[in-house]
Amino acid sequence: MTNATNDLCLLDRTEAVAKLTLNRPGARNALSIDLLDALSNRLDELAQTDNVNAVILAGAGRAFCAGMDLKAVLDEPGAPAQLLTKIANVTLKLRALPMPTIARVNRAAIGGGCGLMCVCDFAVTHDDAKIGYPEVDLGVCPAVVAPWLVRKVGAGVARRVLLAGGTMSGTRAHELGLVTSLAPSDSLDEEVRNLAERIASGGPVALRATKEWLNKLDGSTLAEQVNRGALISTEVVTSDEARACLSKAFSR
Amino acid sequence: MIRVEHIPVDGDDQRSVAVVTIDRQEKRNALTPDVLENIVGVAKLVHAGQGKAHAIVLAGAGPTFCSGFDLSLCKDDPLVMPDLLTKLAAAVRALRNCTVPVVAAAQRGAIAGGCALLAGCDFVITDANAKLGYPVVRLGVSPAISSTTLRLAIGDGHTRERLLDPGLISGAEATRIGLASECVETPEQVLPRAVELATTLARKPHHALVATKRWLNEIDGSNDSQLHNAALQASLAIAGGEEERQRLQAIWK
Repeated sequence: MTNATNDLCLLDRTEAVAKLTLNRPGARNALSIDLLDALSNRLDELAQTDNVNAVILAGAGRAFCAGMDLKAVLDEPGAPAQLLTKIANVTLKLRALPMPTIARVNRAAIGGGCGLMCVCDFAVTHDDAKIGYPEVDLGVCPAVVAPWLVRKVGAGVARRVLLAGGTMSGTRAHELGLVTSLAPSDSLDEEVRNLAERIASGGPVALRATKEWLNKLDGSTLAEQVNRGALISTEVVTSDEARACLSKAFSR
Repeated sequence: MIRVEHIPVDGDDQRSVAVVTIDRQEKRNALTPDVLENIVGVAKLVHAGQGKAHAIVLAGAGPTFCSGFDLSLCKDDPLVMPDLLTKLAAAVRALRNCTVPVVAAAQRGAIAGGCALLAGCDFVITDANAKLGYPVVRLGVSPAISSTTLRLAIGDGHTRERLLDPGLISGAEATRIGLASECVETPEQVLPRAVELATTLARKPHHALVATKRWLNEIDGSNDSQLHNAALQASLAIAGGEEERQRLQAIWK
């Protein structure tokens, strides 16, 4: 991994708590192929790390994550499939981390960003954050993130959220179970840090055994559905309908 | 350790609410293997139709519902923790399999094993400031055993949060996420409300209620013995291990 790519996802550590930071603040941390590569490498690194008991996933700058960087790949043959395959792999790796994970969601978690949030075991945000899956509004199918949302909030809520598209407030996301807790935006870091330290106070063996079991129990270890989601999303995003919708959105 | 009191419904000798009370007040009703066996025994008696109970209230004597396992028993014997976990799993399943509805009266605190019992019940009454949760990862113990029944009440997302976070939540929050079905204002209101609800349930047509509970158990995975056993095994796999031993010893020091 080059240094430039490496810098797209930062990894810091304070005692037993590690922090991963998506680092494309100029693009509101939109998930590009390079950023996903960087995140994937960091996840590999963490999976092999002992003595980390909790991981925080954050976004640099003003927003957690604006979603997939579709604009960059739309006109390049093969690139949409590459991007969607990479996000599918990243979600599987993120969930498979042996230690609990917490999404620190400031301002916005949209589309693929909301997907990463829901793959984490916990998510903390503030009441007026903008959260959701507007994919269908853009002619895109949120097939990769759908299995994770179903696991997070149940099939009924997931159906309504994904088919309705649009976004919701942090408050509504908390009501529906997408988000674990709300904090005032100026004390988001404190809330996340307290949660991470509380979790990290657990025994590493007990935490890892429990998470491994929960992943088995809810089907998180099954890659087939998520990978199939990448194929479905690719098919839909390269359709004429999606191209027309996305071109219109990008020209705004 | 376990008291059973029958409250006749509308003066009918053949139709009662059985109030099953864990009574170890000096230990905040901490669970021992005997207590858990007794819960299984009572639930099985009702299940077998022996007696007149048409609804059960599971209660804890004194100020607090249940503080979890009696950890003092684990001090000198590494085999006690696996025994407690195995018997807790049996008690939770017995409550769920019991023919008639079970209402938990969880005042002030339902911690760890105490909270696990709640997931086996059909209804849970608690109070707004009660403390509920599974802080056992701090002891090097995995609460995987609770996962299969807890997810039926609160879904996989909240189950993940509650079992990985050793923090406790309030009765109000427990009600919001579905761990409790109803929240009253004060601890003193919990048992009367639980008895009131159980009485309402006991008045309903018995066969319909029994058939409905049996059917719900069948369709929601409550009867999936293989899955429940796998969850128990996930907890047992690390029970009595070095991490647990060190962390328990740190408490006693």
